[in-house]
Amino acid sequence: MVLSSMKSRFVYVVGCLLGLVASGFAQQARKEVVFWGLSMGPDSKGQDAVLRAFEERNPDLKIKLLSMGAGRMDPQKLMTSIVGNVAPDVISQDRFTISDWASRGAFLQLDDYISRDAAKDPLCPTPDQYYPATWAEAQYEGKTFAIPTGADNRVLYWNRKIFKESEADLVRNGCDPTRPPRTWSELLKYSEAITKFDKNGRIVRAGFMPNFGNSWLYMFAFMNNAEFLSKDGRTCTMNTPEAREALDFMVKGYKIVGGYEMSEKFKSGFQGKENDPFILGQVAMKIDGEWILNDLARYAPSLDFQCAPPPVPDDRYNKVGRFKNEKDRFITWVGGSSLAIPKGARNPADAWRFIKFMTSFEGRMIEYRAQAAWEKQRDRTFMPRQMAHKAGNEEASRVFAPKFGNYGQALAMHTEISNFSRIRPATFVGQLIWQEHVRAMEAACFGKETSESALASAQANVQRDLDAFYNKSRYPEIDLRFPGVVGVLGLLGFIAFFVWQFKREKIGRLERQEAKWAYLFISPWVIGFMLLTIGPMMASLFFTFTQWDVLNEARWVGLKNYEDMFGSDRKMVFKALGNAAYLAGVGVPLGLTTGLLIALLLNAAARGIRVYRTIFYLPAIVPGIASAVLWSWVLNPEPVKGLINAYWNVTLTPWLGVQPPGWIQSAEWCKPALILMGLWGAGSGMVLWLAGLKGVPTSLYEAASLDGANAKQTFWSITFPQLTPLVFFNTVMGFIGSLQEFDRVYVMRPSLDGPVGPDDAMMTPVYLLFNNGFGLFKMGYASALAWLVFVIVVLITFIQFKLKNRWVHEEVK
Amino acid sequence: MPVGTWFAVGTLASWLAIIFGLKMVGQLFFVGTGQLDSDPGRTRADLRLNSLLTGVFAAIGIYLTAPFSKTGYKLPLVWFVMPWTAWLGFACTGLMLARSAQTITAISPEERLGKLKAAMGLFGAVVVFVGLFKYDQESKIEILKGGIPLTLAMALGTLGLAIAAVGAMVVTAHSANACGLGKTIITQLALLAGSVVFGIPFVFLLVTSFKEDQDMSSKNGIVWIPKVTETVPYLSPDKAKKHYEVMYEGKVVEGLEIGQEAGKVKIDIFKPISIRGTTFLAERSELKEVPVAAKVYTTKVGNVPVKGFESDSLADGSRILQILEPPSMKGKATTVKPDQTEPVRHVGLRTENYSEALSYLPPETLNGLVYVKNTLILVVMNVIGTILGSSIVAYAFSRMKFPGKEKMFSVLLATMMLPSAITLLPQFLIFRTLGWIDTLYPLWVPAFFGSAFNIFLLRQFFSQIPMELEDAAKIDGCTYLKTFWSIMIPQIKPALAVIAIWTFMGAWNNFMGPLIYINSPENMPLSYSLALFKGDRSGEPGLLMAFSTLTVIPVIALFAFAQRYFIEGVTLSGLGGR
Repeated sequence: MVLSSMKSRFVYVVGCLLGLVASGFAQQARKEVVFWGLSMGPDSKGQDAVLRAFEERNPDLKIKLLSMGAGRMDPQKLMTSIVGNVAPDVISQDRFTISDWASRGAFLQLDDYISRDAAKDPLCPTPDQYYPATWAEAQYEGKTFAIPTGADNRVLYWNRKIFKESEADLVRNGCDPTRPPRTWSELLKYSEAITKFDKNGRIVRAGFMPNFGNSWLYMFAFMNNAEFLSKDGRTCTMNTPEAREALDFMVKGYKIVGGYEMSEKFKSGFQGKENDPFILGQVAMKIDGEWILNDLARYAPSLDFQCAPPPVPDDRYNKVGRFKNEKDRFITWVGGSSLAIPKGARNPADAWRFIKFMTSFEGRMIEYRAQAAWEKQRDRTFMPRQMAHKAGNEEASRVFAPKFGNYGQALAMHTEISNFSRIRPATFVGQLIWQEHVRAMEAACFGKETSESALASAQANVQRDLDAFYNKSRYPEIDLRFPGVVGVLGLLGFIAFFVWQFKREKIGRLERQEAKWAYLFISPWVIGFMLLTIGPMMASLFFTFTQWDVLNEARWVGLKNYEDMFGSDRKMVFKALGNAAYLAGVGVPLGLTTGLLIALLLNAAARGIRVYRTIFYLPAIVPGIASAVLWSWVLNPEPVKGLINAYWNVTLTPWLGVQPPGWIQSAEWCKPALILMGLWGAGSGMVLWLAGLKGVPTSLYEAASLDGANAKQTFWSITFPQLTPLVFFNTVMGFIGSLQEFDRVYVMRPSLDGPVGPDDAMMTPVYLLFNNGFGLFKMGYASALAWLVFVIVVLITFIQFKLKNRWVHEEVK
Repeated sequence: MPVGTWFAVGTLASWLAIIFGLKMVGQLFFVGTGQLDSDPGRTRADLRLNSLLTGVFAAIGIYLTAPFSKTGYKLPLVWFVMPWTAWLGFACTGLMLARSAQTITAISPEERLGKLKAAMGLFGAVVVFVGLFKYDQESKIEILKGGIPLTLAMALGTLGLAIAAVGAMVVTAHSANACGLGKTIITQLALLAGSVVFGIPFVFLLVTSFKEDQDMSSKNGIVWIPKVTETVPYLSPDKAKKHYEVMYEGKVVEGLEIGQEAGKVKIDIFKPISIRGTTFLAERSELKEVPVAAKVYTTKVGNVPVKGFESDSLADGSRILQILEPPSMKGKATTVKPDQTEPVRHVGLRTENYSEALSYLPPETLNGLVYVKNTLILVVMNVIGTILGSSIVAYAFSRMKFPGKEKMFSVLLATMMLPSAITLLPQFLIFRTLGWIDTLYPLWVPAFFGSAFNIFLLRQFFSQIPMELEDAAKIDGCTYLKTFWSIMIPQIKPALAVIAIWTFMGAWNNFMGPLIYINSPENMPLSYSLALFKGDRSGEPGLLMAFSTLTVIPVIALFAFAQRYFIEGVTLSGLGGR
């Protein structure tokens, strides 16, 4: 039997493959502790050493390290793994996001472990070992969810050489050139004296750019005693006089250096570590973290700089007015990472063992010693990073403090100021406050909005999420099993009805036989349709009326998701739709035209057509991710690196005076960048056109040439009308495709969290849906977005089919 | 008159020169290819006039703007950068003025009325666009000035190119099939230019994957010829810097000596990178010192240029060079600041990018082989699933009769346009309930249920097979399954091949699926691992491009073997023409 042998062969092949999948690789005897969030790099020696030391001490365990994206964990990946019950055992996570995760019940609470081990295990972390601010940041509602590791605070770096050079200007402005500024007004005066412009009004040397380095609005707000959240955590207080004063100070600071836009341009002129304008002596003062010491030591070991406490409001410094009873004269802010155990970790007890070791004094010292030895072996200076562990931090500064230059003083300043650090509020809206505060800061510094209106709208956006959380109980809880059962029953009922109908059908025995076979044959599709298409669609429709994050109970919210979509979240939804419309409206016609042009050329040439066709077609088959990776380098905005800008810089810039665009790093150019990249893949369209052109009957051309038509007339009256069905098909598909643009955006977006492309200029509807669905697990809201996309696709298809009759040429058959 | 005016007038003149120049070239092309007008005399007169105008306007333009350019003559250019509202406003104003002029010259009253209406409508548009422009506070119109420098080289090059092109056309005009050949040359030139544009990113990918880090950015533009730094093997006398090769758990590893314990040497492994940081005790007799690759530099000692390799460096970055050349100084050492040294490099490929890229992959992926295995599983299972699932359903829909067929088929057609976004979340929940998260099942099992588009396509193909074949099989007593498998399937092999290729591409490129479902390296396919790799190694383009190249090569290899199906698949699908 041919059939049975084929069948058995197939079963064999499938069986083998399944076996391969199932067996995986040889089982390891040691238990694995899966650790996400750190990556192995060429210089991550200290980190490797502490992992190996742990394994040596715990021979039953093996650490499996996985970065899951760049330095910062991809939040979507972590959430999906937690919901999918395949969470890692340990993750390294930015501390200010801990409350966010904890509030959703995504992390395990560590207090039980701590109280169990505190007395008997010297490795066990306890609050008293840590700088209070760092410990507090990893808490949510009084419970501990993570153990802090790093503690990066900010101090003022000032270039003594520039101060000396500008001595005359400084003295004229009433400043003492031998010491750094201590108050805000001094800082502005110093900056004014040092900043120099050329005769075209362009910046040559900047005194101080408020957000160059790492200060943000947060730091200045902290100094001015502004809090972004009320004590009970229910009210957002971003728009207070204190915060406005801090923001106004930043705006003033930017005015001195010619405005935000100019200083951003000035800054972006120096790309790369060794080209940092502070290292090159183009910026006299900046507020930054200790991580820059490494670059300073490596690229400018002889730079004459010093560290000082970051300048504070005058009243705080003088302890008058509001600050009369203030204890601390100087204030800085601290951030950093921490280790946590996600909910659903397969191995929480061993994960805890690992966290204990990694965060302990002993573990930290192993790490630092190994890193120091590694750097020494490479003849580089080791700069110990600040850590949250108090004793560890003091020991590290003592043992590893570099002996040359001012590095020792700089590290000592960082260590000293650790005791005066503030943290961002530990709240579940921490990330949102961060994003909104960045948006407000940029809007005010750009001069687009006053500091009051910028902060007010930021405050409103945060308050919306706060209210949604605290008003949750207003909506009734629902048991999702009920609609599930109803759905399954409905499906069974439908099948029963169908069978009953079939039984009643008056057809002959043979026909009945045939129909039975036919039903068997189409059953794969029918089952797939029920389980993977119509069932999920109905479920999705149901979800749109709920609020559900999979981990917690679902609530019936009625039309709230739709209200949000067209109400409070309208700006983002319309932005995503607008971006899709841009990509479709500009990209699709351009892509079609390019494809057609190539096809016309290829259709004309006889010789070498196969070679050309291959060259034009190849980009279309390059895997999307690989081409996104390639193009993120082709489109690199730096003229010394990016393919396009390198040539732009030697042709268009000198000829037309146009600076090369920032492509994916600028809000205006990132969509054209995506379109340009799409044009590279126009080959697939070209093939379609070629097939279409070959299909145009030659008799028509003969007739036209007999009538004396020229090339233009022939194209518009014969070729093009014959191709209109193709144009139509491609337009519809292109529009639908750009609504669902995802892969390229995901790979090419400049940062993992926060805005998708500058000013969300790369946000697409499906990306928004993905973000809400798999990043935040707002099942209800994401489903509503999915239905929006669905309705738009149906509308576009419908409209296009209506329009089709007006311009698509179809031969009367 | 203000200075800027002369510049603007000059630009206008140069634009006119360019327009007439292009016209002239076009006429030359027609003359060259023998496509003359009915009246050759008129063409020649036209040609003469155009060349004269070109020359005159070019001269005016360059003369007027010469005082503004300090670096020799330039072809002046002035252009406007404005928001789209302003562009539309200008366009509408122009059109409105034209229509108004036509109102005056109109012959009949009806025509006049029509033109007037059009002018009024356009006026409305102008108001709207200008209003929008005013409303947008950030919008501003910028006038930018610049010029293409007219260096001798550029002028000569352009002139030479023009003469060569015209010459080629004139020569071809005299040959028998002049018209065709001239056209072919132009087309071939255009195709070549296009191929360069489309091919260059590929070349960039390949070249970058073989470059050293220092060639990634260069002040002189893109480095197209990779170079490698020369090194010499060197055994350091400094004990802390000696590299040893030793056996560890049955593998050869490289490590450093970091101390002694109980008569044994403590070794700190640094290669392979997956177990870096492991320390263990080894007998001294087991150790085998391996030379370090020391970079070779040139510098000057006094005024003598010397070449030497770096044996050590100091904390301030100074390099200690062991001199190799000139022979008179060989064996001596010198200490120099890094900025006084120049690495010795020769043209070559840095193939280490590839091995290093693979060494950074998680150890459990066996240098990326596991990624390949997973991708292959996905591809094979998806292709088998799609072909089986879709063809059998298509067969039933095209050749069998059963109640409800029409209704079901229209439902199937309707699902073709369904965006996958709508089933994304519930499908995740279904697979979660099945415990399939972090397995490959969600990525290939659905393929076995057939896809609407492929079913639709295959149905068309089944319908074209003559009924007689099937009837004969029926008479022979074949079951439906056997008829389908042994008679119908062989008839549509080309279509199946095309679908197989599409499915292959889809499975190979699938990104969102693995992004949602796969977490551990053991289950990752290539596409997703590349995205992760980009996140980790974005600072090392050499490694990134090497890994990208590795993921692209299999697809290109498939394309080389099955080009016909890729390209002609479109025709087969019936989408291209009728």
